[in-house]
Amino acid sequence: MDNKVIKVTNLVKKYGDFIAVNGISFDISRGEVFSLLGPNGAGKTTTVEILEGIRKKTSGEVIILNEDPENNRKLIGVVGILPQDFNFLWNSTPMDALNFYKKALGSKGDIRELLEKVEIYDKRDVPFQKLSGGQKQKLGLAIAMLNEPEVLFLDEPTSGLDPKARRNIWKVIETLKKEGRSILLTTHYLEEAEILADRVAIMNHGQIIDTGTPMEIIERHHNKDRLIIRAPQSISQSLKKVGFVGNYSDGYLEIELSESRDAAKIINYLVDENLSFEDFTLKRESLEDVFVRMVGDEDIESE
Amino acid sequence: MRILNLNNIIAYFKLHSRAYFRSKGSIFFQLAFPIILMIIFGAIFGGSSTAPTQLVIQNESPSQISWEIVNAINDTGIFKVKILNENSSINSYISDNSVSAALLIPKNFTQNFAMNGSASLIFTGIGNPQEEQQEYQILNNVVTSMNYKIEGKNPSLVLKSDYISQQSLKEVDFYVPGLIGFTILNSMFAMIYQVPNYRKDRIFRQLSFSGISKGEWVISTALFNFLLTVLSDAILVIIAYTLFGASLNFTILTSLVTLVILFSGMLLFIGIGILAGMVSDNEETVSVIGNLIIFPMMFLSGVFFPLAFAPSYVKTISDFLPLTYFINSLNDMLIYKNYSVLELEVPILIVFSIAIFLISVKLFKWNE
Repeated sequence: MDNKVIKVTNLVKKYGDFIAVNGISFDISRGEVFSLLGPNGAGKTTTVEILEGIRKKTSGEVIILNEDPENNRKLIGVVGILPQDFNFLWNSTPMDALNFYKKALGSKGDIRELLEKVEIYDKRDVPFQKLSGGQKQKLGLAIAMLNEPEVLFLDEPTSGLDPKARRNIWKVIETLKKEGRSILLTTHYLEEAEILADRVAIMNHGQIIDTGTPMEIIERHHNKDRLIIRAPQSISQSLKKVGFVGNYSDGYLEIELSESRDAAKIINYLVDENLSFEDFTLKRESLEDVFVRMVGDEDIESE
Repeated sequence: MRILNLNNIIAYFKLHSRAYFRSKGSIFFQLAFPIILMIIFGAIFGGSSTAPTQLVIQNESPSQISWEIVNAINDTGIFKVKILNENSSINSYISDNSVSAALLIPKNFTQNFAMNGSASLIFTGIGNPQEEQQEYQILNNVVTSMNYKIEGKNPSLVLKSDYISQQSLKEVDFYVPGLIGFTILNSMFAMIYQVPNYRKDRIFRQLSFSGISKGEWVISTALFNFLLTVLSDAILVIIAYTLFGASLNFTILTSLVTLVILFSGMLLFIGIGILAGMVSDNEETVSVIGNLIIFPMMFLSGVFFPLAFAPSYVKTISDFLPLTYFINSLNDMLIYKNYSVLELEVPILIVFSIAIFLISVKLFKWNE
């Protein structure tokens, strides 16, 4: 049995002479959270909108649950969608919105249960424009989850939210992940992808420049690890004698490591030689550090 | 096109109406609008008047004097004279053709004039009382000048008036169909604003995820606006009756036909609103396009001002405007009691509506 719920092969989208998506391929397995990362204009949203069936591709193949999404009503409700900047009718309440989708989709979903799951049951009768940014996104998520879809597209689900609201949304996505749903997540918050995604694809200028687990991406592209020790300046001379050279500044000695295990050698040496130090930190590059270097000076703040 | 799903139409209708009625401002203005409109028009245009272009004359007593009168009326250039065949019934002609004025030269006219030196002509006014008065005055001037022309006689030709409308119709009756047309235009204007805003705010994209089709959305929107307009128009008619003593021809049949006319008109103008909204890409364009469509239609379809004295090319343009058929249908049904509209104007309006509905659904896109 084919375990792939989404297969994208050589997908191309052109607007006149401009190539927004340039021959990308990827697939998503059942129960996997796959994240598309990229700077402004990388082609993430265009890709997602083609997968959602609301934008036509120029060429290539897109298969979602064995269906081509273009002009395909079979996927409505089967795929849950939270679009970028989710918006709804002024003066409609979460209860109105979910009742509408429930009726239109012929869904058997329990609205109360859903509102409780996204923690906005107490806001069920509040007009849409009076909901906070996070509450609006939660409503969007509830709508996307209404039909218990096997596949979900979450396009920038936490964009513009404060850290607390962002973490609340992450909690809901983690629940969906535990339920075994396949999720395509686009985000420009690298931390978000690192926490939630099983695999990520980094897009730039319409192309995927690398794919893998966040750790694999970091492993492939990270700079050397650095050991930072808080200690008197004399320690730098002691370590220099055994071949570890670093920069001392404001009470901290920072040493670039040729190998990660050198960190253990250095600490052992300090302990064995009874050289005093207060504490130390091993600093490894995050996905964000790697990502910024990979995409260069592109604007990663918004798309 | 997919078959329309009633469930989806009802689902969106509920969503839209709940959101609408949650806004106290919207409800207030929806109810206040017809009241304000009726009072303003009742007060401002209560005294306005104009004359028709067409005057139907039946000469039942052909003679030199009777034809001289007809020629004199024709020479004024004010009336477009239509001579009715001797064998035709002037009353049937009036009711079948929605004419607003008629002149009968009775059978005994020549004989009475020859024998007694005096005779009567019968003027029938069917339109706006102010217009009737003006028409009567013009004809009376013609008759008076004829009297002076006839040497050796004292003025002896008399124009008798037979205001058939005076017994039943009031000034206000002539504004009500136009104001109903205006409330429909109001819904169209709302659509011209709503379409680009929903597109900009990506609400259409969100609606597309529900599985509701474009046709279902248009029907549902038209149905909601239709019921809202029926409510507004009911208030308008009640005020017309209570404050201004209106006496329109509201029977079960004309009320039902009026509802059919209203729904067809709503579907038609919602469709036009969607098409116009599709070409508006910002708020400034929305206002310009909205006004460009609404104002010419308001004036050229005779919503508020009769086109009696308008140049012929304006009348030709008017024939191509859907609102003309809407207003004419209501005028004929509710004022002139002319049921022949069921054979022409109403079917034309329904065909127009279905055509515009299909075109708007075909061209409208959830996503640009």
